[in-house]
Amino acid sequence: MNDTRILLAHGNGGRLMRELVTELFARHLGNPLLDTDADAVTLPPLDGEPMVTTDGFTVQPLEFPGGNLGSLAVHGVVNDLAVAGADPRYFTLSALIEEGLELAVLDRLIASFAAAARENGVAVVAGDTKVVRRGEGGGLYLMVAGIGVKRAQAKLAIESIAPGDVVLVSGPVGDHGIAVMLAREQFGLSGELRSDSASVLPLARAVRDLPGLRFMRDPTRGGLATVCHEIARACGHTVTLEQERVPLRPEVVSVCEMLGYDPYFLACEGRIVAVTDAAAADTVLEHWRALPQGAGACRIGRIESGNARVILETGLGGRRVLDELEDDPLPRIC
Amino acid sequence: MTDTSQAWLEKIRAFDFERTIKIMNVCGGHERSITHSGLRGALPEWLELIPGPGCPVCVCPEEDIYQAIRLALQDRAILVAYGDMLRVPVNVPKGDVRTLAEAQAAGADVRPIASPTEARAIAEANPDRQVVFFAAGFETTTAPVAALLAEGVPDNLSILLSGRLTWPAVAMLLGSFESSPASPGFDALVAPGHVSTVMGPEEWNFVVEQHNIPAAVAGFGTESLLAAFYSLLRQLKTGERFLDNCYLEVAHPGGNPTALRMMGAALDVVDANWRGIGSIPRSGYALKPAFAQHDARLRFPDHADPGRRRAGEMPPGCDCANVVLGKIYPNQCRIYGRACTPRHPIGPCMVSDEGACRIWWASGVRVAADA
Repeated sequence: MNDTRILLAHGNGGRLMRELVTELFARHLGNPLLDTDADAVTLPPLDGEPMVTTDGFTVQPLEFPGGNLGSLAVHGVVNDLAVAGADPRYFTLSALIEEGLELAVLDRLIASFAAAARENGVAVVAGDTKVVRRGEGGGLYLMVAGIGVKRAQAKLAIESIAPGDVVLVSGPVGDHGIAVMLAREQFGLSGELRSDSASVLPLARAVRDLPGLRFMRDPTRGGLATVCHEIARACGHTVTLEQERVPLRPEVVSVCEMLGYDPYFLACEGRIVAVTDAAAADTVLEHWRALPQGAGACRIGRIESGNARVILETGLGGRRVLDELEDDPLPRIC
Repeated sequence: MTDTSQAWLEKIRAFDFERTIKIMNVCGGHERSITHSGLRGALPEWLELIPGPGCPVCVCPEEDIYQAIRLALQDRAILVAYGDMLRVPVNVPKGDVRTLAEAQAAGADVRPIASPTEARAIAEANPDRQVVFFAAGFETTTAPVAALLAEGVPDNLSILLSGRLTWPAVAMLLGSFESSPASPGFDALVAPGHVSTVMGPEEWNFVVEQHNIPAAVAGFGTESLLAAFYSLLRQLKTGERFLDNCYLEVAHPGGNPTALRMMGAALDVVDANWRGIGSIPRSGYALKPAFAQHDARLRFPDHADPGRRRAGEMPPGCDCANVVLGKIYPNQCRIYGRACTPRHPIGPCMVSDEGACRIWWASGVRVAADA
């Protein structure tokens, strides 16, 4: 491992690739179950109903305030399992690496992946690396599959949502979308905002067995509004958000005002949107607010009978339809 | 929301008008603010807010967009433009590239920007490439283009300027020109705050003095907008007429002298074509001859194809022009909500967030009005 950058030879199956796997990936990710020489591994029996999920990760820049691609990938898969009521156990990791990526960067990203996995009680049990030619990849893409054990006692079902239910969020929305944009120095903007990239496992664990909890989802790309659309479509009712209650950081508000973005559609990477029956809402909020990550938890809306759509109630008492995202948000002219 | 907004709202609700009062705005930012705060739903039913010719995307000539697409595709220039220009379709046969976004997908180098300084940065970072800044917009976005020129631009950067002045379109609506329609279709005007900040609020005096129509300059916030609505309604009630400035803290008499000086040095005011509306006297900006070397219209071949069907026109069936002029409601267009939706926009008014059709759609109007 004397090179400073990834070469095509790191993907040719020979010595360089072996060294990359053992000296970089396995050094960070090693655990008793990971066998870099095996084609497949046997997992011990799970102590509950298994749940499985998969996701691919790409972000520019690879490192941003508040996180990086490595931690983001772990959080993404942990969060999908957590909001489904599971504890994460085993991950697989497939890395597509672009020729020319600095080994020091790759090392930091995989170290960060490993640290995030450990923090969430996850063992990486299988992996793969491929190298693509320069220009054919965004530095590094990570594909992760995750196996978890179902822990929630009750079934969390989006279909069970009914009019009168309450919509909660565990913290401010849109931080990740704006933080990454600022890190790219796109549109001549820069700033100090940190991504919210984090595991929501503690938040999910704290509330998953509370009676009256109907459903949880972690908003990612497409943001809060997209989760609300998924809820509206699945339950067939109107999701009404109260504009003044949706928590937004001032930095997010000002960038949105400048570029004409709607913060409700901006990516989050460490929040939960939950729907509860009216009686359970305060209890869920109390449990969340007791955790550092849930300090900004709020009640933001409600489910109303009506068409499957998402309405934003404004401070002046107006109502506006939040449509499904059509295109990538682009800055407006004036 | 502030208490003040609520207070203005209550004062407006206290008015009683027997007929519908139509207030026109001519600023995309106003329209956006009105829609995003849900003002239409909060105001009395007798008060109607009409978006006028304030959407720069909607009035940008189709030929200019076609030219920008060809510059990116054929001349292989890096084409930088404000984001919402990327989705406006031109009239070409099925299967041809219709938008800048499609040109990008077809391999052209098209980059959305939010400020002219980015155009300069991109040109400096790509000294071996031609960079064209497709600058559509009103005075507020044209002023920074003039500043860019005044500060000096890299040789490889040229500008495809589609800058427009706001007031001549309103003057045309009010019958100031021979070609004007007879009825303005509105009772009062909210004048654009940011345009007034650059050009000076007194640009709008003609609305009051020549046409006896109340006018008020407003900023983007709901508080300033509501204050302007109140002033306009009070003027209508009392018969008083004056240009009110409800954006005092920002829009100063005389405008921004630096911006005006730079615009005067770099740009000429010329007759200009407004999409679907036609030519309006002295309503557009062009680069002065001293900046000819940075004029993309002179640097590159003119790709106008005389045989192209509907070149410069609105797409078939699209009534954007009448929507822009406030003559019909968006959902009175034959294709609104049918063939033309945000997912498949046909006319420019359905493309931009500031287009009246897109705004109506976003506010929940999903069906076309019965003919």
